[in-house]
Amino acid sequence: MSGLSTAAREAIDAIEAGPQGPEVGAFFDLDGTLVAGYTAATFYGDRLKGREVSPAEFLRTVVTAVDGELGGDPTRIAHVAFSAMRGESEEAFADLGERLFRAKIAGTIRRESRALVAAHQRAGHTVAVASAATAYQIAPVARDLGVEHLICTRLVVEDGQFTGETDGPMLWGRHKASGVRAFAREHGVDLAESYAYGNGYEDVAFLSSVGHPTALNPHRDLRAAAARLGWPVLDLADPVGGSLVAAGRTVAALAGMNAGVGAGLAYGLLRGDRSEARNTAVKLATHLPMAIAGVSVDVLHRERLWTHRPAIFVANHQSALDIPVLGQLLERDFTIVAKKEARWDPRTFVGSVVIDPAWIDRSDSASARATLDGVVDRIRGGTSLMIFPEGTRSATPVLGPFRKGAFHLAAQAGVPVVPVVLRNTGELMRRSSLVLNPGVVDVCVLEPETDWSADDMDDRIAALRQKFQDTLARWPQ
Amino acid sequence: MSPTTSEDLERWGSAATWSSGAELTPVQTLLWRAERHPVQSSTTTVVIDLDRAPDWQRFVAATEWGTRLVRRLRQRVVDPVVPTAPPTWADDPTFDLRYHLRRERVAGRDEVLAEAAQVALRPFDRSRPLWEGVLLEDTDGGASYVLKIHHALADPLGTVQLLSMLQSGRRAHTPRKPLGDEDAAPAEVDPVDLAVAGLRGDASVLAGSAWGAARSLLSTRPSTVVASGLRYGASVRRLLTQAAPPSPELAPRTGRSWAFLTLDAPLEPLRTVARRSGATLDDVAVALVLGGLRRYHERRGSDVREVPVGVRVSLSRADDLGNRFAGAVISGPTAIEDPVDRVAAVRGEVLSLHTERALEVLDAAAPLLNRMPSFVGASALRVAAPPDAFVLTLPGPPKRRYMAGAQVRGTYVLGPLPGSALTVVLTTLGDTACLGVNVDASAVADLAALRASLEEAVGEMVAAGR
Repeated sequence: MSGLSTAAREAIDAIEAGPQGPEVGAFFDLDGTLVAGYTAATFYGDRLKGREVSPAEFLRTVVTAVDGELGGDPTRIAHVAFSAMRGESEEAFADLGERLFRAKIAGTIRRESRALVAAHQRAGHTVAVASAATAYQIAPVARDLGVEHLICTRLVVEDGQFTGETDGPMLWGRHKASGVRAFAREHGVDLAESYAYGNGYEDVAFLSSVGHPTALNPHRDLRAAAARLGWPVLDLADPVGGSLVAAGRTVAALAGMNAGVGAGLAYGLLRGDRSEARNTAVKLATHLPMAIAGVSVDVLHRERLWTHRPAIFVANHQSALDIPVLGQLLERDFTIVAKKEARWDPRTFVGSVVIDPAWIDRSDSASARATLDGVVDRIRGGTSLMIFPEGTRSATPVLGPFRKGAFHLAAQAGVPVVPVVLRNTGELMRRSSLVLNPGVVDVCVLEPETDWSADDMDDRIAALRQKFQDTLARWPQ
Repeated sequence: MSPTTSEDLERWGSAATWSSGAELTPVQTLLWRAERHPVQSSTTTVVIDLDRAPDWQRFVAATEWGTRLVRRLRQRVVDPVVPTAPPTWADDPTFDLRYHLRRERVAGRDEVLAEAAQVALRPFDRSRPLWEGVLLEDTDGGASYVLKIHHALADPLGTVQLLSMLQSGRRAHTPRKPLGDEDAAPAEVDPVDLAVAGLRGDASVLAGSAWGAARSLLSTRPSTVVASGLRYGASVRRLLTQAAPPSPELAPRTGRSWAFLTLDAPLEPLRTVARRSGATLDDVAVALVLGGLRRYHERRGSDVREVPVGVRVSLSRADDLGNRFAGAVISGPTAIEDPVDRVAAVRGEVLSLHTERALEVLDAAAPLLNRMPSFVGASALRVAAPPDAFVLTLPGPPKRRYMAGAQVRGTYVLGPLPGSALTVVLTTLGDTACLGVNVDASAVADLAALRASLEEAVGEMVAAGR
């Protein structure tokens, strides 16, 4: 789980060693290449759940799909789906695309595919997603990966509604290949120097359009063709899916967390020391559940967690798992800032008793400032603070913008900021998922930064965010 | 001895060992038994242009020598009385060179091609060695040698190889030429014995393979067998049905009236185009023919964006001219105007065939089909709708060669027309690409327009490579 596979590493090394610049193209197929599985299936599943599909349409879809598998025209299934969309609003469908991206598709982006895209972006290549899918499926994924260009099937829209027709051919097989060639002519991309990644048997023509084709997690028939044509095959790890065993362990882990809190508090209170009680409870409440769930932590520069206390610890946020992980790392004498609304939330109630967060009322700025004054005093008194500067969890490992609050506090309290970079917590426990999968969480503690002041704060925040980004892109060994 | 001559000797030595297997291969057998002349015959005709009329006596003597060197040229096919065994080659005790080689006088190029088409359309005497040569002496001093060879003796690739091996590297006569093993006893083959031996062999082989099949079926999970069967079936279906529909402009096809066209192109620009598109010379040839068909359809006022084209796919490595090939049909894009882009599109189509597990279906099916009455085999060959055109590339000699003192100016291979409107064969000869086009004259309403279209397509492709 930890780090990139040797094969992915070698592929990235080859990209770095190869020619750089925008005249080199990098074309990625979407379904099965950038993401595991089919985005169209996610969309169709949503239609089925919403009971928008009549039994007749369902039957027609199944028959067409089976026929496509048995050597019939495999693009007919898509045309059946497109014509079923006649009269639907484009805007609503685009919104659906965004919603399904956050709920489902974001979690299926392969981490190593993301690393490949990033490698091409660092090399200054012209990166594009080339897919038979529609822009509504691709755009959110492309935006998340920072990919600007889409080469895809276009649907005809009249008065904001789909007509059920496609604008030009569906970009499948030969049409995807000619789409890529046309794009290359338009953007001055040299195909002989370019890269393409695809996984299906229909991708051969597309892959053969470039000088450096790669069969990425190929299906059986493409694998056979790649062997015959001497094309490299790259097998990347799929995102971890929630299994029943993992779900069972998560339940046990939650039980362990509560038991840990109870036991720790009881122990501390028996000894008559509230602060010791909290520290013991945190320790048990974080170690116990993670041990039960089979999650371990691999920390680079662990010593930096202790050299500058009290401090403000800032971390990137992808998953509910981040909190127990950081709790385990920081171990003792720390607290968090939390929204006032969350105070009576039953899910966080137990935790809040233990950690005693600094509650902040965002709706009332005077009160917010007063709370913060209290926090500054607590920090000076020796309690470190843990803050996620992105504010909310991101759907994907892409870093959100940093808010300034944490850094203002550091300036006011006169304490350093200790940056903590978390990788793959979002894969072990997806956003809005309650299931925790076993694995190793990678943590890198960056150099603590001291002497914060309001004068150069914006620049320093931007520089720090860049450090997070660089660390995520190239994990230190 | 000059280096050229020792090179000749080496080549002639390998010619002596050319094609020495006694039995026809399963595919050859299928074609042999399925033959219905001329529509389903597999005759290859080669028109060899010579710079002068060779001395007839010397030409006859050279051919006499060639047939002694390559024994197959004096052998005939013997079929067993019932098809339990493949047909076998046997020496023809009544071989008479005069039956196979003759000369005629013609006036001009058009008559050469017309005469060659007539030679090609005449059926073979299947009880004799399967070749026929006519030296056509032009009234203006040039000459063309028309050689017709049956597919069972040599496919187009073999024909070009054989010719290239038998030709000489120099104009002068080589007095002491090697000959094949004289002492190999002329094998007498009896059709009844053949059938009986085949039956005996079948019994033991079939029992063994039935046992093997049963064992492998028992050791595999039924769902795996079904799944892989379905995948194979799906692949067969894709190969047979997913190419473009035939062009209405290239119909009706009777296959009974042939017309020959020949074209030349400098080879280097074509190779340059291939390099630029990451393609092979074969892909360039297909794209060139598509460029010609695009123009022909435009001239006829017909809007056809793609046509089915039969191509040859190497089964060993995609980029090599390997030994194992499968035929397949692709949708050839005629709508793409840019010749280099068209080459890349063809390249993508051809490579896509490598994902098809059933690509070797004909090879796999041939041994089984041969156990059935011949019409079954014939209809199996017809299952796939024939493409509008077949395109094939053959590597010829890298340097100019001589035949009985006359220099070879061009080698044009005119392939059979198994249901297609045209068959185009590009043969390389030194620095020239020689294009032989066999046209179904009933399908092409305006032969002159087709010729002009193909000539323009050659010009366009050559310009793209300069």
